[in-house]
Amino acid sequence: MFKMKIVSRSNIGLFIPCYIDQFYPKVGIATLELLEKLGLEVFYPSEQTCCGQPLANSGAEDKAIKTYNNFVRIFSKFDYIVSPSGSCVYHVRENYNILPQTDEVRKVRQNTFELCEFIVDILKTDDLKIDFPHKVGVHQSCHGLRGLKLATPSELIVEHYSKVHRLLKKAKGIEIINLDREDECCGFGGTFSIFQPDISVKMGKDRLDDHRRNGAEVITATDMSCLMHLEGIARRQNREVRFLHIAEILNSNRL
Amino acid sequence: MDRNKILLNIQRSRIKPVNLPEPFCSAEKEGDKTILFKEMLMQTGGDCIEVNSTEELNSLLDNNFRGATDLRRNELFKNFLSYSNKDSLERLKTVILEGQFGVAENGSIWIDDSNFPNRLIPFITEELVLCLDAKQIVRNMHEAYLRTDNAISGFGVFISGPSKTSDIEQHLVYGAHGAKKLIVVISHETNLV
Amino acid sequence: MTNHAHRAARFLKNEERAAWHDKTLWMVRKKRDLMALDVPDWEELREQASQIKRHSLSKLDDYLVQFEEQAINNGAQVHWASTAGKLNEIVYQIIKENNASRIVKSKSMLTEECGLNPFLEKRGIEIIDTDLGERIIQLKREPPSHIVMPAIHIKKEEISELFHRELNSEEGNTDPTYLAATARLHLRQKFIEAEVAITGVNFAVAENGAVVVCTNEGNADMGVHAAPIQIHCMGIEKVIPRLSDLAVFTRLLARSATGQPITTYTSHYLNPKPGGQMHIIIVDNGRSELIGKEDYRDSLKCIRCGACMNTCPVYRRSGGHSYHYVIPGPIGSILAPHSNSKEYEDLPFASSLCGSCSDVCPVKIDIHGQLYRWRQDLSQQGARSPIKKGIMKVSGKILASDKMYDWSGKAARWCIKYLPRVLIYNRLNTWGRERELPEVPRESFKEWYNKNFREGDKNGQK
Repeated sequence: MFKMKIVSRSNIGLFIPCYIDQFYPKVGIATLELLEKLGLEVFYPSEQTCCGQPLANSGAEDKAIKTYNNFVRIFSKFDYIVSPSGSCVYHVRENYNILPQTDEVRKVRQNTFELCEFIVDILKTDDLKIDFPHKVGVHQSCHGLRGLKLATPSELIVEHYSKVHRLLKKAKGIEIINLDREDECCGFGGTFSIFQPDISVKMGKDRLDDHRRNGAEVITATDMSCLMHLEGIARRQNREVRFLHIAEILNSNRL
Repeated sequence: MDRNKILLNIQRSRIKPVNLPEPFCSAEKEGDKTILFKEMLMQTGGDCIEVNSTEELNSLLDNNFRGATDLRRNELFKNFLSYSNKDSLERLKTVILEGQFGVAENGSIWIDDSNFPNRLIPFITEELVLCLDAKQIVRNMHEAYLRTDNAISGFGVFISGPSKTSDIEQHLVYGAHGAKKLIVVISHETNLV
Repeated sequence: MTNHAHRAARFLKNEERAAWHDKTLWMVRKKRDLMALDVPDWEELREQASQIKRHSLSKLDDYLVQFEEQAINNGAQVHWASTAGKLNEIVYQIIKENNASRIVKSKSMLTEECGLNPFLEKRGIEIIDTDLGERIIQLKREPPSHIVMPAIHIKKEEISELFHRELNSEEGNTDPTYLAATARLHLRQKFIEAEVAITGVNFAVAENGAVVVCTNEGNADMGVHAAPIQIHCMGIEKVIPRLSDLAVFTRLLARSATGQPITTYTSHYLNPKPGGQMHIIIVDNGRSELIGKEDYRDSLKCIRCGACMNTCPVYRRSGGHSYHYVIPGPIGSILAPHSNSKEYEDLPFASSLCGSCSDVCPVKIDIHGQLYRWRQDLSQQGARSPIKKGIMKVSGKILASDKMYDWSGKAARWCIKYLPRVLIYNRLNTWGRERELPEVPRESFKEWYNKNFREGDKNGQK
């Protein structure tokens, strides 16, 4: 059992995005179990709903203010807020800037973390004792990649790093495949997937082809929204590939 | 008047002043400048010949570019001053000019009004030969613009390789409208004529 | 579906062409990456360029006045045009005053924006676009689909057919070298006979009044030096303070645009040729107003390299014409709504907000941030359809109340699980056209948690 000296005394609020709550509870369960295995006290405030991103991305930021305020109110009592979603965390950290910046708002914005960055940067560990003997394709969800700087985007000329790869590559038996386009967007983009369906699907198909060409057995990502979109296409096309959120892989450990 | 209207409109925007940044300190790309220059020149489709003395240079030009219009000397300028007689310019097959300096990071060469009698010449000729002293190669564009020293004549140009286009399905074709070929003759240890 | 979405759907129907378009532009993006890697301080250079542009915009009136002074001292004539119409009028006047009829033009997105060609043509003046890509689309009577590679959407077979029809080239000869040579010959005569040459402006240097134009073909120079009269059209935002600043921009421009270290020709025009005239037209056309919009001012830093288009996964799969604006792609999508918010309200939504555009922009315009901002502003301005407005209002209420949220989620899950497939996967379900909806779990996470953990128990002991 890991004992994180300072962090284990903190209380962690678990933020489960709306679509994971409704359609992929297994990802929430994996996240909760993983954090507890790491010796943390995690609480899930059940009055939570959503971070408000779907409204804001559609241009209805003003309609989301009440949701933003609820989020802040519910989570401000926690030292850290952790979520298995790069895009939701990005939204809280970046786009809650339109709220009056009270101490509460500032605290929540600064202490909301995506799962992988929380493990690497706050818990300061990257060896989760995982066994995962599979060929894994990592889909680098855009908001986590460029927004939260979980890794270096291929177009930036800076030293290369990747928090997700750091956590995965220590898994026993894993083979992380190289893609032809390492970080092209999958085409989900929230309401983009509904209002621009043709391009959205084409982008998704191209991602799936890339993974298939390079032999992926499992496709993983920090965002279930991307995987929901890719899985939707894959199932319609009867493609043989599994989709697992990063939390599920990281939780398949011997801790 | 439009001028006042535009300037007033800009002033009305009242932006907070932003400081002009300090001059850029460029990190040095390693490697011999001449070698880098040659590499980049060839990458852009130019040809490169090296000579080691004035005699070698003149011999090369006489042999390889027989019949070329050698405009390195100002005395010949008077034949090409006119802008209205374009037919004689159209007939130019190979022109030799002196390049003032080269830029290693992109294989380009600077020439201006002092290097040709007529601004159309470097572009209308089919083949352009530029003579460059190896000692006159700077590393990058920052040094290049320091070299021009804000004393640009009425027209100056950095030329990097022959004219080119990829507008047809991204196929690279040389000789779109300007010179089809660019040859740079680099002289080491010479006093150029 | 929006205007862009409809056009994109049409573009994607030709699967082979769409795949080629995507692959080709991705290759240009990769060439850019290689070039950028070759510059030891690429990211610092971008920051420098951004700051120089920001500074210039904060003192634009001073720099424009300085530029004008220097240019006039050099022997150029400087004109000011507050609108597109004024630009066209000024060009027309210069042509008429000099009894000219043979006009050539090198690439200028500004003149495209202002509609110069149709304006002159309506007045009986023929104007020849000399950039090869532009000449192709001019003959084809189409707008450009990319600001740097205007004919990227056209295959060589179509060009061969076009040239055979319009320029008498060999029928069926699709060899790019042959086609380019045909164009060279055809345009050669136009250059020699040109009386007026019009160009755009990449950079205007306040310090010495220089107009800088970057081309690969040499067509700007062929025109400018052959024709007695040269006219350079520039947007107000093109002025930069010093000659030395050019170093920063010339190092970034071609590397970002086409993956070359520099364009073949980087020409600096300061004074007219002996016996000639040099005119510079400074154009506003809405730019001074954009300076006043703090959220969108940075879009004026743009140096028109097109890198954002090459990296944009949406642009590559929808083509420039889908944007129905003179400048397409990410940068077009943040400039267009300023020009006409009703006509271009679809463009900020033609994006998945992946953010790659902002990373490749050589002057660090926060393009994806501005796209997000435009979505809010356009919605506030009433751009959304009543249906979408209604949906947003209802969604806002649902997400703000945990009870309504829980109930809606449960209802949605029940519908997907129990309603017949034919009811769910109908025409209204755009998601379901080519994707399966997610499988419905037995219970939501919240339901699972509340069942397995005591309420109010901080430790969550089972």
